[in-house]
Amino acid sequence: MTVPFLKIDGIRKEYGPVVAVEDVNLTIERGELVTFLGPSGSGKSTTLYILAGFEKPTLGDIRLNGQTLLSTPSHQRNIGMVFQRYTLFPHLSVGDNIAFPLKVRRKSKADVTERVREMLKLVRLEGYEDRKPAMMSGGQQQRVALARALAYDPPILLMDEPLSALDKKLRDELQHEIRRIHHETDVTILYVTHDQEEALRLSDRIAVFSKGRIDQVGTGPELYADPATRFVAEFVGDSDFLSCRVTHSQGGRANVVLGGDFAVEGVPLHDERGTPGEGALLLRPERIDLSRSEPTGWRGLPVRVDDVTFLGSNVHVIAQTGWGETVSVRLPFGHEHISGLSRGDEAWLRFDPNEAHVFV
Amino acid sequence: MLLDFDRLGWWRWALGGFTAAVAAFLLLPIVFIAALSFGSSQWLIFPPPSWTTRWYSELFADQRWLDAALNSLKIGLVVTVLSVVIGLAASFALVRGRFRGRETLKALFLTPMILPVVVLAVALYAFFLRLGINGTMTGFVIAHLLVALPFSILALTTALEGFDKSIEDAAILCGASPFEAKMRVTLPGISAGLFSAAIFSFLTSWDEVVLAIFMASPTLQTLPVRIWSTLRQDLTPVVASVSTLLVLVTIVLMLLVALIRKGLSKP
Ligand SMILES: Nc1ncnc2c1ncn2[C@@H]1O[C@H](COP(=O)(O)OP(=O)(O)O)[C@@H](O)[C@H]1O
Ligand SMILES: [Mg+2]
Repeated sequence: MTVPFLKIDGIRKEYGPVVAVEDVNLTIERGELVTFLGPSGSGKSTTLYILAGFEKPTLGDIRLNGQTLLSTPSHQRNIGMVFQRYTLFPHLSVGDNIAFPLKVRRKSKADVTERVREMLKLVRLEGYEDRKPAMMSGGQQQRVALARALAYDPPILLMDEPLSALDKKLRDELQHEIRRIHHETDVTILYVTHDQEEALRLSDRIAVFSKGRIDQVGTGPELYADPATRFVAEFVGDSDFLSCRVTHSQGGRANVVLGGDFAVEGVPLHDERGTPGEGALLLRPERIDLSRSEPTGWRGLPVRVDDVTFLGSNVHVIAQTGWGETVSVRLPFGHEHISGLSRGDEAWLRFDPNEAHVFV
Repeated sequence: MLLDFDRLGWWRWALGGFTAAVAAFLLLPIVFIAALSFGSSQWLIFPPPSWTTRWYSELFADQRWLDAALNSLKIGLVVTVLSVVIGLAASFALVRGRFRGRETLKALFLTPMILPVVVLAVALYAFFLRLGINGTMTGFVIAHLLVALPFSILALTTALEGFDKSIEDAAILCGASPFEAKMRVTLPGISAGLFSAAIFSFLTSWDEVVLAIFMASPTLQTLPVRIWSTLRQDLTPVVASVSTLLVLVTIVLMLLVALIRKGLSKP
């Protein structure tokens, strides 16, 4: 068996009575870009800070190429990091900021100059060498921070919500840059974000954090198509949840009943140890079809339309079931049943039970 | 806003007049002293009958004045260095430390600021008598350090609180040891606070008279003590010229603080 590149092994971190991180396990391959995705307070930063060595785990180990990292102090770990806040050294120019880790490592003057130039080119800031950080925009400062963190060729780069202070347009641009730089440098990146779109756009794999634990690890499509928990389903992609009763379950599939009499058979089942028999049926709004007339050949779920919103390439329909639950449906613009659809209309919904999920 | 200056009507003139009166009340004595120090009258008559630099010549010719000034300078500089170094260490603990009683400790560090100086002086006098360091440089330095430290700690805790620790963390991940990161990144980052701490520490010692009177011996006097004892013997205009020079030093140092703050906050 080969030794994994980076292994986060059973990490737990307590702050007094607060358990910030609980039993986090993750194996990361060399060159991967893995995001930690989760809401604020779910333990993402704490995990990253343990990797950086600023916090000691209460339990567990971090191993790089099979060797524990925990006995190495932060400044000898040779890890790069870009922080959420701007952390350029305010008294040093852009060039001197990037040169700092190289000078600390006693590199020759010629090497430092050469490397600083290379790094400025990598982050597309040639010509900014003599600027002071205070004279740069937020986006530029984070680019310099990225250049500084990569200047010494660290095997691992940690990024803690580096774009969260930037506006949307700049964020999109820098996400693109980060992907490009990841391809060009082959550095292994651990990236923290609470923004699912950012995670989906950047990552090879996503680890979804919830309440100090990792709920699921996988590629974006995997998390979307096969969420392990209700939380992951809610956090990745849009979702509809309908309460349901489980009438029969076998081999990871379940038959359920919605609203007393609408039966759905053979839905993938996820056991989260909730109340037996009571479940939630997950549907993806863009995977639901809608018909204006009572369908023949299949049994549709009858609903009343509450609202129709035009959103460009698609149309968002909010509908209500007979027993008062709300379902949102996303139909492509030009769908045969959209024209003239309005509030109060009757409609029937159809979905594939194989694509739905039941969480109990 | 409730009190909009532009809409106060004639109150504006009243407020302006009041402000001018307060400023005059505070500044005129200093102007008088400066004028008197150049006045020819032996008896400090105002306005002076004619002008002279005689008192300045007398001042610089008198070895006792020069010695006193040199003592003040020496004590002030040693106090400055110690106050900044100790203040820095204390401030790191007060700002970065996570321990119980942190707020209480900070309040304790600042008590010399509100404690009546006379009380402190009497206590130190009694204590130093036992230690046998009355009238020594060491005694002076310790006494002045006590009153200078709160200013230093106040300036440095404020500066450290305003300095994002993530910047120091970034330096550490770049490969600098925690000590190196503090020396090369954090200290330059709080240089404005360091300058303020140094200058306020120096001025506290340089101007201090109450503790100094208790600490002084016939052979070891500071400038303020010498002014005070000279005034008790005879009222010579030389005192006015010393005072004028003292004010000048203070003004220059305060301007320096203002300039450095401005320069460092907008690089
Ligand atoms: N230094 C600390 N002291 C006490 N509690 C902390 C500390 N750091 C983090 N926590 C707690 O740990 C939990 C996880 O925090 P964090 O890792 O920062 O979450 P995230 O980065 O996902 O928003 C939160 O409940 C937070 O309040
Ligand atoms: Mg965080």
